Amino acid sequence: MKNTSDQNISKIKLSKFLRPLITFLISSFLLYRIYEVVFIRQQFTPDIWVRFAISGLILGGMYALIAIGYTLVYGIMFMINFAHGEVMMLGAFGGYFIFELFNFIPTPTVADPDLTFLNSQPILSIILAFVAGVTIAGLSGYFLEKIAYRPLRKAPRLILLITAIGASTALQNLAMLLFGPTRKNVINPMILERSAGWSVLVSGKPVLITYTGVFSLVLSALLMVALYLVVQKTKLGRSMRAVAQDKNTAALMGVDVDDVISKTFIISGMLAGAAGVMWDIHMGLVNHYTGFLPGIKAFTAAVMGGIGNIPGAMLGGILLGMLEAVGPAALGIDFQLKDVIAFTILILVLIVRPSGILGEKLSEEKL
Amino acid sequence: MSNLSLKNGRNAGIVFGIIILIMFSTGFTLIGNQLVAKLIGNEGFKGLDQFKVFVIFMVLMGLWNGSTAARKPAIAKDEMMPAIANGLVAGLVFGVFSLVISVFFGTMLIIKVDIRNYLVNISPESTKLFLFDQTPVLGGAYHFGIALITSFAGAFLAHFTRTNQSLRNFIANSKRSVSDFSGSPKVVSTVNNQYFKIASYLVLAALLIIIPRQWGSYWNYVFGTVGIYVLLGLGLNIITGWAGQLVIGYVAFFAVGAYSFSLLTSPAPHNLMWNFWIALAVGVVAAAVSGLLIGLPILNLRGDYLAIVTLGLAEIIRILLKSDMLTDFTGGPRGLQKVGGPTLLGNSITSDIDFMYLIIIAVLVVTFFAYRLQNSRTGKAWYAINLDETVARATGINAYSSKLLALTLSAAVAGLAGALFASRNQFTGPDDHALMVSINVICLVIVGGIGNIPGIFLGAFALKGLPEILREIENYRLLVFGVLLIVMMRIRPEGFLPSQRPKLEHPIDLAKSGKEE
Repeated sequence: MKNTSDQNISKIKLSKFLRPLITFLISSFLLYRIYEVVFIRQQFTPDIWVRFAISGLILGGMYALIAIGYTLVYGIMFMINFAHGEVMMLGAFGGYFIFELFNFIPTPTVADPDLTFLNSQPILSIILAFVAGVTIAGLSGYFLEKIAYRPLRKAPRLILLITAIGASTALQNLAMLLFGPTRKNVINPMILERSAGWSVLVSGKPVLITYTGVFSLVLSALLMVALYLVVQKTKLGRSMRAVAQDKNTAALMGVDVDDVISKTFIISGMLAGAAGVMWDIHMGLVNHYTGFLPGIKAFTAAVMGGIGNIPGAMLGGILLGMLEAVGPAALGIDFQLKDVIAFTILILVLIVRPSGILGEKLSEEKL
Repeated sequence: MSNLSLKNGRNAGIVFGIIILIMFSTGFTLIGNQLVAKLIGNEGFKGLDQFKVFVIFMVLMGLWNGSTAARKPAIAKDEMMPAIANGLVAGLVFGVFSLVISVFFGTMLIIKVDIRNYLVNISPESTKLFLFDQTPVLGGAYHFGIALITSFAGAFLAHFTRTNQSLRNFIANSKRSVSDFSGSPKVVSTVNNQYFKIASYLVLAALLIIIPRQWGSYWNYVFGTVGIYVLLGLGLNIITGWAGQLVIGYVAFFAVGAYSFSLLTSPAPHNLMWNFWIALAVGVVAAAVSGLLIGLPILNLRGDYLAIVTLGLAEIIRILLKSDMLTDFTGGPRGLQKVGGPTLLGNSITSDIDFMYLIIIAVLVVTFFAYRLQNSRTGKAWYAINLDETVARATGINAYSSKLLALTLSAAVAGLAGALFASRNQFTGPDDHALMVSINVICLVIVGGIGNIPGIFLGAFALKGLPEILREIENYRLLVFGVLLIVMMRIRPEGFLPSQRPKLEHPIDLAKSGKEE
């Protein structure tokens, strides 16, 4: 064991040398590849690029909302809430059932005997769908914390993570057994029909900007601003930041730590639920597996922006959505592989810059 | 009376009400009933018998409900009144739940609204079963009555067993006599006796040789799968159980092993047709190298990143294998057919009995190495890292390279399991490597007892063997796993067969959460 310290030193030097080298190699390869595909092959015209970017931006807004939930919980408890995607899925089901219910209630008029509540009161329906989705997701976040995580407050992180995996598996399969494995088509109100939108000319060709897309993007931006105000300006936000910094000191200053953690889970669940209803409205398909991939990708976004950092999660979410939408085209690979991009980015971020884009250098314990 | 708290009863009632609601709406009441019928050997039962079984089920639920309500620690031990009152409240709440379920879904059945558009598992049969084949209101009333009476009885029984002195003495005595027997010098000396050990090994070896010949091919198939999962569990145990680093996407290494083996032995895309043993070795090495490569940049970070990175890796590998881009190279979504079987001295081994022997030998070899590793210097270093990485480093352990070694070995075992799995099935495809495999492996390691080798055998049998035997509950398996993981972590995080490693005085406080300060 004599030379252990020497070994350690050489390891550190190696990793210091290795990391920039890997970064350099990967980024130069990617840049060359993008240059080749975009400028030499010129497979896509500008209007298609704009189309990709718009769809990426919309997707990114949803990822950002979910990613905030990961980051909030990670910032406070240093745990990856693996079941967060499933919370979003439950919210999506809440919205779906409200739409179905309202489509079931007839409100016939003289002009249109088949009119349902969904189309006679579209704005109210949408609001109620969001209320339902957000409430269900918030409640499931609350009970998830209360039943699964709270008894393990002092347990090692491995145990918390395993519990979270268990919760994720259980919720996913419960939803499958309850609602069936088939994908369900969500019925939107007429004013938010999925294929309708404004047409914009880009280099002489029309690009469709859908109403659902604009709606989701605006709503996610509003929710992000609201969350920022809650975290920065309210008493709850102050206690959340205090608990994230130091639980014990916060408790000594009179912050009810358990209560703050509960409320954090509720807030993150509510944001995920809103993202779920947006998913309903924009994507139009929902099943028990809906939450899994967005959940993992949103986690990627949170890591990319710097986990524990709220603006980082927002930035990471938008960026990831864009990269996922533009990436396959820019790299000239199959569109089937768009899910690979998110995971590759996750691995690359952890290799190249584990603290994320906006994350400061975290102390070793938090990593 | 003034300070009589009925909270326990209410909570127990709500919990059991939600359980029965979930059981009903996932269709478990019907399936479970059929399973019970099969177990008591009444396979073809029709008519009234089915409803009797369900009555027994509801009676048991009610008894459990009542005893839970009366057993909560908040209730003083020797007072009869609060226990019974809580039991009654629990029964009341539970009964209301059942009543509402009966009336609501019964009405749906009568007015012929097909609820299966939204809740797929509520079939008319299961609603009928839930109503004991009565009208909704009458069935609900039966439920209410059963819940109230049985919860009362359950609470009374729980109170009785807690307070009756002679019964308690009897239980304590029988517990003591069992522990006396297993701990008595005679038993201990017999167990530790060298000849006894050798004899038991011989018996075990004889059983392992004889049993696969006696089973049909179905049981060889089932226990072959259990054997593969034992291998996977032993492998995951190295990195997760001993070194304490969770790997969620363990299936990635399984896939690497299976595919590199299959590509070398399958006739389809490349027609390489290598020898089984060389291809097996290549599969193991390929998996080990992939583990090493993924560990190199990640393992110097602390925390849960390894879990997420391997999860990402598993998904990347699955999507790539499934995509059309690599179809020419890896067979695409249809997978690889006619994967080669083992050969020995020029004879190819094709019978499932012989393959079962191969799996048994692989399990025995890996188990032997695992035992040797556990007690080696390296194993102790892993254990130290698991308990506290900072202290482990301070004592001169190179945490990074130790963890790297653990991940490499663990990936190698997964590669072995993957190659054997592909060879046995003579097929491998992207769907064999879904994330569920990893979740199953994590479950079996944890349920059996994390870090403990016999526990892995128990866990593999419980999680892969039992569902094969109880085919009916196949769909419910993953739901049960998930709930089981949460419950295990809460009440028994060390598993059913806990590891015999020495424990810290305050294992939870000191080991990890202390770092937050």
